[in-house]
Amino acid sequence: MTPLLLAEGLVKSFDGVRAVNGVTLHVHPRERVAIVGPNGAGKTTTLLMVLGAIEADEGRVHIAGHELPAQRHQAMRSVGFAAGYLPLPDRLKVAEALRFFADLSEVDEPGAAVDTVIGELDIRHLRDKLCMHLSSGQRTLVGIAKATLHRPRLLILDEPTASLDPDIAFRVRDRLARINEEHHTALLLTSHDMREVETLTERVVFLRAGRVIADGPPAKVAADGGQASLEALFLAEAARHRAEQL
Amino acid sequence: MTSSAAASFSWRRVWAIVRRQGLVQYRNPGMWFLLLVLPVVDVVLFSSIGVAYGTGDGPVRLLFTGILLFHLVWQLTLAGSLGFLEEVWSRNVLNLLTTPVREIEYAAALGVVGLLRTLVAVGLISGVGGGLYAIDPSSAGWVLAPAAAVLLVFGWAVALLVVGLTLQYGDSAEVFSWGTLVLLMPLSGVFYPVEALPGGLQAIARAIPLTRAFDATRIGLEGGGIAAGDLLVAALGSTVAVGLAFWFVLRQLRRFRQLGWVTRFT
Repeated sequence: MTPLLLAEGLVKSFDGVRAVNGVTLHVHPRERVAIVGPNGAGKTTTLLMVLGAIEADEGRVHIAGHELPAQRHQAMRSVGFAAGYLPLPDRLKVAEALRFFADLSEVDEPGAAVDTVIGELDIRHLRDKLCMHLSSGQRTLVGIAKATLHRPRLLILDEPTASLDPDIAFRVRDRLARINEEHHTALLLTSHDMREVETLTERVVFLRAGRVIADGPPAKVAADGGQASLEALFLAEAARHRAEQL
Repeated sequence: MTSSAAASFSWRRVWAIVRRQGLVQYRNPGMWFLLLVLPVVDVVLFSSIGVAYGTGDGPVRLLFTGILLFHLVWQLTLAGSLGFLEEVWSRNVLNLLTTPVREIEYAAALGVVGLLRTLVAVGLISGVGGGLYAIDPSSAGWVLAPAAAVLLVFGWAVALLVVGLTLQYGDSAEVFSWGTLVLLMPLSGVFYPVEALPGGLQAIARAIPLTRAFDATRIGLEGGGIAAGDLLVAALGSTVAVGLAFWFVLRQLRRFRQLGWVTRFT
């Protein structure tokens, strides 16, 4: 099967420091993939290269058959992006902001699409609230609404549940699983919550110092690393990373 | 669920950005001040100076026409530069980069917003000038039309320059949106001929395309007709300036992606 996302040999350095060092990544339609690794492993830089917001020094990225950066505009039609840290336009109400992004993606019947996604995420009460007045949990839900209202084939999420309370985090995970199931949207996410990764994804790409050190189902990646769980593997890797830095 | 037109230039995306900018300006009291109060303050200030110190209606018409035309540059520059700065302030840059919007669509949208702002400001200045000082805004004659077109093109070049600087310096680039206009006002002979400037500054002033447009307007006000030569030089200079500014923005966008500047905006 042709991958929906194909990133090969990605390399990126900042001020002489190699942040990503030959990462190859592929995501197939309907697949649920997580990129994990300690802070500084290169997860966000990899995602931003996949999105075309950062240009790779080496390597290539194809999304839905479109090569970046030349065909970024076409590729973005198939992609939705949300991040826990990313706010929405300050001075717009939630419904206005969603309509804005629906128009940028040229969604047919944008008003209906906004209503649908607001209903799906159960955020009707936020409809007329200014984005600048949303709590972090509400912002995350609206961010996911923004990222999914054009029914992308690939949903990219950077730490979608970071700093959320357990209830909102559960709702976000539940919604992501349903988006994957109902709309056949592939998921590519980063997370520091290994239980979330085990629950939500079927494949894990483990990064260390900008390199892929493991790629496979969560249980297998943990077992291959000599650990009982993904969390135990993560902690072992983080301890190793700290020791190397000293 | 999406149409197949996303790959080409889309007026729908342009309109979406114009609408967003309109809502931002509607809900931002500072923008109302810049759009409605500042032009009135300027026309009252400069027209009153003309009335107080001039003899006949020549000086007041000169000062009034100068400020009327300078607001073409002013409003277009502010719409472009502050419009993009709003994306920076609200950390919306990464959101935009992950949509199908094209650079040219975004630039076109800011241009439309700038033209709308310009229409409001020029309407206000003309109304105050006519109502309070009995000045005919079109007293310079037909030269106003080409001069205004040149000023709009040059204003757009300044806006693009500031957008390019904002890509590198983030919200600290706000100073450039004001600073460039503060520099341009005395140097481009808005109210006086270049010869009134100190010797060293005259060469700089002559290199600015705006200067020729204001010279042509003054000649029109004095009944000298249309100074086609001055307007041609101003038009050529402004076209080159907007071309260079667009090249600068594209170069900055390339560096933005290569150097990972996006992380400064998230």
